[in-house]
Order: sequence, then structure tokens, then C-alpha cells
Amino acid sequence: MQLIQDLLVYYADNASYVWEQFYRQFLMSAYGVLFGAIVGIPLGILIARYHKLSPWVLSLANVIQTIPALAMLSVLMLVMGLGANTVVFSLFLYSLLPIIKNTYTGINNVDHALLESGKAMGMTKFQVLRMVELPLALSVIMAGLRTAVVVTIGVATIGTFIGAGGLGDIIIRGTNATDGTAIILAGAIPTALMAIIADALFGWLERKLAPGKKKKGIFSRDEVTV
Amino acid sequence: MPKRIIGPIILAMTLILGGCSLPGLGGASGDSVRIGTLTTSESQTMGHMIRLLIEHYTDLDVEMVNNLGTAIVQHQAMLEDQVDITSTRYTGTDLAGALGMDPVKDPDEAMNIIQTEFTKRFDQTWFDSYGFENSYAFTVTKEFAEEHQLEKVSDLEALAGDIRFGVDNSWIQREGDGYAGFIDVYGFEFPKIYPMQIGLVYQALANDEMDVVLAYTSDGRIAADDLQILEDDRQFFPPYDTSLVATNEILEKHPELESILQKLSNTIDTEEMQQLNYEADGKLQEPASIARNFLEEHHYFEEAK
Repeated sequence: MQLIQDLLVYYADNASYVWEQFYRQFLMSAYGVLFGAIVGIPLGILIARYHKLSPWVLSLANVIQTIPALAMLSVLMLVMGLGANTVVFSLFLYSLLPIIKNTYTGINNVDHALLESGKAMGMTKFQVLRMVELPLALSVIMAGLRTAVVVTIGVATIGTFIGAGGLGDIIIRGTNATDGTAIILAGAIPTALMAIIADALFGWLERKLAPGKKKKGIFSRDEVTV
Repeated sequence: MPKRIIGPIILAMTLILGGCSLPGLGGASGDSVRIGTLTTSESQTMGHMIRLLIEHYTDLDVEMVNNLGTAIVQHQAMLEDQVDITSTRYTGTDLAGALGMDPVKDPDEAMNIIQTEFTKRFDQTWFDSYGFENSYAFTVTKEFAEEHQLEKVSDLEALAGDIRFGVDNSWIQREGDGYAGFIDVYGFEFPKIYPMQIGLVYQALANDEMDVVLAYTSDGRIAADDLQILEDDRQFFPPYDTSLVATNEILEKHPELESILQKLSNTIDTEEMQQLNYEADGKLQEPASIARNFLEEHHYFEEAK
């Protein structure tokens, strides 16, 4: 119980510091996923249009995903230097695969009959995308963002090794102190909590955006498969 | 071809991210000062003191770049303009490492050489010492010292045959200031020498598993376990006086920095640093709050800006 007491004392003494690092880590992950979405979603739509491109793009994103986080950060550090920007860029790379893949899958799985009826109603290609495909694919795309966020929150912890700060700083401090278990936990618990909360939040969004649940929903739920 | 699309995008992202800072994350904005520290509590505590002083006396943003691996990494980071200030640099270490020169035994001479050479070779200012050093030290318990009337390292000669001596693994092989050098200078050996990880020596001494250990002088556990350091009476170990180093570039850009940074020179002696280190390593305080408390206690924030 000494441990829990140490932990509580640590939080009481360093509340603002922990919060600062928490916020910093959250921002790094959020920026990474944001840039990932800006690039990944259009790319996913593009490869859903031009199927020939999809193996290229997807396998490239796959390769990126297999690079170990520490190696990725070290290599990027050589080019971009120390600091948060390097971490954000590597998080961007890691979030590409889930976002591209889910966008691609989501758009591809929209029922052809619906696309045809859209066309028959005189919609332009862009209108079909905006009014039929994207709304139906949205929950699948959300699932991709959800995966990306959880992955990046975990990876951002290692950012401490290239001087980016974040909760990893607290964890490393704990490994240096005598009996530093309380400090290690003080950094690890918020990291885990952040991932869990983000996951729950995106899960809720995903369900909320699922087409079957929409009030004005004209399409049935089983038309979308993940 | 996808390469045509992805290539420019990645290039653009690199340029965007490399060139500017994201809101909330600091970064390479024009008016910021970047402080690099090692993973040790000592380094981070001093780094935070520098940060707090700069934040108090100027309007500059300060960014901490923590957990740089070694003195060489700190040096490289400064050369490559990744950080502007490094918080703890040790004369003995940098003479051998960054400058590649032979050890110098006289502390003032070592400091002079380093200060001159760093200005000349790297265009950096090596400040005067904080007042403490982090060296190797022969260390015993107070009781053991009293029992055998030990004050200096040469007092150990009479006992050397019987006592158990715990050292950190690398010291035995270290050139110059290692075990071989020690035998040359002091003229006696320890038949019962036990190499181990440096962190373990304090515990080993406290548990009476060792009689003498080679400790790091600024480690807080020397104070906490009430240990006695024996004087290195033949000046075998080179001095490891601790200072901060700043690039002349940042000092020229913000001329007010120099006098602020000098406030920390000759203010903390080794005993005081041990206390501060113990608060971090033993009492689990954050270096940032230790630094703030220290500066408040010593009235650093009370002068007019």
C-alpha cells in the first residue's frame, strides 16, 4: 500500500506537471492522426476509385507499419532532428495504414445498387461521393481513426528518447530513481487511460455515425460491413 | 503511380513540420531557448533551474530537451543546433571526450583549457562551475571511518589486504583514471575487488557486504546513507567540475542571457547537490519542483527583472 500512497503523493505534488505532459502527449497523437486523416482519407478514396493503385498504396502503408517505433524515430531524428515535430511526423506515418485501409474498405463496401440509384437521380460523381458513399462509409472510416489514435498514443510515449517530452519523460524518471515504481506508474497509468478514453470516445462516435442508427436513415444497417 | 503522389506529400509534410512549430508543442520558433539535459536527476534539476531563471527574467520561451544519452550526445546536439544550452557538462569528461585531450589534474587549469578551447573550436561558452563536481570517490561508512581513523585514500593502504572493495564494472578497465592508473599513483592494490553495477554499491556498503566502494560524489545516497568520502590526497582523479554550456549564437542573439546564466555559477556545493539529488532519487520529487524550491529558498526570484 506504500506504493499507492507514493503514487497519490506524487500526483498531489506534481499535478500540473503531469497534466502538462499528458496534454503534450495528447497533442502529439492528435496532430499525428489529424495529418494522417488529411492525407489518408483522400488517398483511401482515390484508391477506391482507381483500384489499380490500391496494392501499391496499401503495401507501402503496410511496410511503414512494420518498422519498429524506436527505429522509425531514430531514422527520422537523423533527418528532422530532436523534438516534438519528429514524433508527430512518425505518428503521422503510423496512422496512415489504418486510415487509408478503412477508408478504402468503407467506400468499396457501399452497395452498388445505391450508387446506381444515385447516378440515376442525376447526381454528379462528387455528389455521389458526398451524399452516398461518405455517409455510408463514415463509421468504418471512424473505426480506422480509432485504431490510429490508440496506436499513436502508445508510440508517442517513446518520444521522450528524442527529447519530445510527454508522459514518457515521467516513466524514464522513474527508472532512474531508487524504488521509482510509483513514478513509473504515475506516467504509465495516464498513458493507458488516455488510450482507453480515446478508444471509448471514438467507439461512441463510430456507433453514432453508423448509418443504421441515423434518424433519417433510409438505408438498413446490414449494408455496411467492416 | 502512387509514388508520384506520396513522394511530394511526404516531402511537403517534412518541410512543413521541420520548418515551423505546431500550436501547443513549442518547437523551433524564433524566440525560444532549447535546453538539453541528460537522463540523470542532477542534469534535469539544473536544466529546470536554468529554465525557471530564463522564464523569470526574460520573455523567452524555453523548451526542455530531456534524456539525451551521454555527454557526447549533448555535445553533438549543440554542434548540430538542436539545443542552445546543455545543463550539465563535466570538465574531466569533456576534456577527454569532446576535446580529445589528456586529463589535467589541476581543476583551475582544466577549466581554463576547456573554456578557451570551447570558444575557439566550437564557438561555445563554457560557464564557470556551479560549484559542485561529480567525480569518483572512495567511500566508507562513518563507523568504519571512525574505527580505522580513515580520512584520505592513502589511509587505506594499511588495510588494503583485508577489506572488500566494490567498484563499478567499467572502472577496472578505464584508461588513465581507472584501476591500473590508481595502482601506479597510490602504489597499492586491493586483493578483494568486486566489480558491480554502480547503483548497487551504495546498498552493498549499507548492508555491510562491502567495506569500501567507489561512489559518484554527487549521488544523493552518500548523504542519505550517512557515508563518508575519503579525500583523494594524491589527486588521482581528474576534476569533474560541473558547468552549463551555451552556444555563442544564442548568447549574441539574446545578450541578457549571459548575466542570467552566470547567476548559477558557484552557488551549489557538492553536499548541496547531493541533497538535491536525493530529493529526486530517494524522495521521488520531480526535478522541476526541486529546482523551483531551491531557487525560491535562495531568493533568486526576488530581484527586480
